[in-house]
Amino acid sequence: MVLLRLEGVTKRFGGLVAVDHVDLEVNEGEAVGIVGPNGSGKTTLYNIISGVYLPDEGKVFFEGNDITKLPPHERTPLGLARTFQIPRPFGAASVKENVAIGAMFGRAKANVDEAMKMADEYLELVGMYELVNKEAKLLTPLEKKLMELARALAMKPKLLLLDELMAGMNPNDINRIIELVKKIKVKENIAVVSMVEHLMHAITQFAERVVVMHQGKKLIEGPTMEVLNDPKVIEVYLGKKMVIEGYEG
Amino acid sequence: MRRYKPLLPVFAIYVILLIIGATTPGLWQPIMFIMFYIGIGVALNNFLGLTGYVDFGYVAFLAMGAYGMAVALNYFTELGFGAVALGFFLALLFSALLCIAVGGVALRLRGAYFAIATIGVNEGLRYLIEGARIWGGSEGIVLSGKLRKAFGPDFANYLSTFVADVCLIIVIFVASVITIYLINSRVGYALLALREDEDAAKVVGINVTKYKLIAFFTSAAIGSLIGASAWTLKLTYVFPEDVFFIHYTVEAIVIVMLGGAGTLLGPVISGLIYGALKYYLSVILPGFQLLAFAPLLIIIVVAFPDGIVGYVRKKLRGKSLFEYIR
Repeated sequence: MVLLRLEGVTKRFGGLVAVDHVDLEVNEGEAVGIVGPNGSGKTTLYNIISGVYLPDEGKVFFEGNDITKLPPHERTPLGLARTFQIPRPFGAASVKENVAIGAMFGRAKANVDEAMKMADEYLELVGMYELVNKEAKLLTPLEKKLMELARALAMKPKLLLLDELMAGMNPNDINRIIELVKKIKVKENIAVVSMVEHLMHAITQFAERVVVMHQGKKLIEGPTMEVLNDPKVIEVYLGKKMVIEGYEG
Repeated sequence: MRRYKPLLPVFAIYVILLIIGATTPGLWQPIMFIMFYIGIGVALNNFLGLTGYVDFGYVAFLAMGAYGMAVALNYFTELGFGAVALGFFLALLFSALLCIAVGGVALRLRGAYFAIATIGVNEGLRYLIEGARIWGGSEGIVLSGKLRKAFGPDFANYLSTFVADVCLIIVIFVASVITIYLINSRVGYALLALREDEDAAKVVGINVTKYKLIAFFTSAAIGSLIGASAWTLKLTYVFPEDVFFIHYTVEAIVIVMLGGAGTLLGPVISGLIYGALKYYLSVILPGFQLLAFAPLLIIIVVAFPDGIVGYVRKKLRGKSLFEYIR
């Protein structure tokens, strides 16, 4: 079943068309990767899906309902959750409170006591149990990202949007996070859309399907390996492949 | 119940203060003076402390409360105690109306713009009352003669001394219970989130406007009850230049920041310090109290940027006393 559907979504900032007539479908429980170089409109697309921006054209559907005009706080309880490229913790709150806030106001709609319990669970899951009482603003950038992941998961979403979650992590952490997200995705049947700029390795391990964005447009879409080996995609990242005749070695 | 433990030290301070005031001759009025400052600190903390929005027009809610009580006592004097009850009702009503007017417009603004808009509201309302001669205009409402005539000097005296003080004390006790209830509930967590990052709070699913309004209404309601009891009922007059005096707002902001914004105990401790210092400095150094006061405040604010209680809480993290201090 189609969980999220974008129809001809366009967003302009002045003369710049950040997202240009993008169509996108995400099915229940699916893992989708969105790749594209810097400035290709990935984050704008996320902001449109989560309701931070209203699109200038086009429509957004979630589980078949038109949510184009809904404010963010009305979308989240439907089953949307996201992390931010630059983590945005609630700094003065403890790590546990941060995650509990997610559980209280996301789709989980937990009361305070339940939310605290859920926070413990999910923090243990991401491997941050010993940090529960720390002030969130004192965490390292990596810990902040993990905490945001726990916060998003505690919201019990149907669709999880990860914004450059793995950027800046070392390979060990990346593998750990990929395994973790895969496990939770299967266990709770969450559709995960993960956006990356350069970590192709991570995407090949994780995504079933990949969408490549370029200059605000959807360049190509399809099964992961096929798409990443497509000459058009290589061109976007590395430039045109040139064969100079008569040149050897 | 565990989460209500922080009420213990707060109530202990109130009770000790009141016992000292009741048993030591000549100290009751200074204690009530201090209680007033604790009261406006606790009241404003429910908004400024919990949301991080600075309301420079806060005193307007005390003024609405003062006028609510004055209108009831002035036009419905014959109701006796009923007039006092009606006064509290009108205080809540007037402040709620002002809340709707201010909240609907100003709460859409953030940061300094919100602060400026609220100053405008305070001054605008004052000039409206003076200029349009509402409720006596700039001459205000003077109740003492009327109360004396209707009730006799003894009952009028009883109203303005005993009843006024008791009402203020009850309001302060209830206000602290409301603060801890807010902090412990979903409302408190929503406010914590929006205070730290309003946009991220929205994405987490928090209807920020709704929760800001809850804090705004709560804070305004408590403020209006304080205005009604500590000003109108106690002083038996209301003058617009007194009740809209922006100085009170600034004092309340100082108390909240000094004690620790968003904490339960903070405004109580700093209200106590502020009230006591203000009272005794004006006795020891009449006319110079502000000169002595300003550097003292600057030192405390520089030394404790999170407020006194915020600082203590940081030091106590992980210790057993921690859960008693909020």
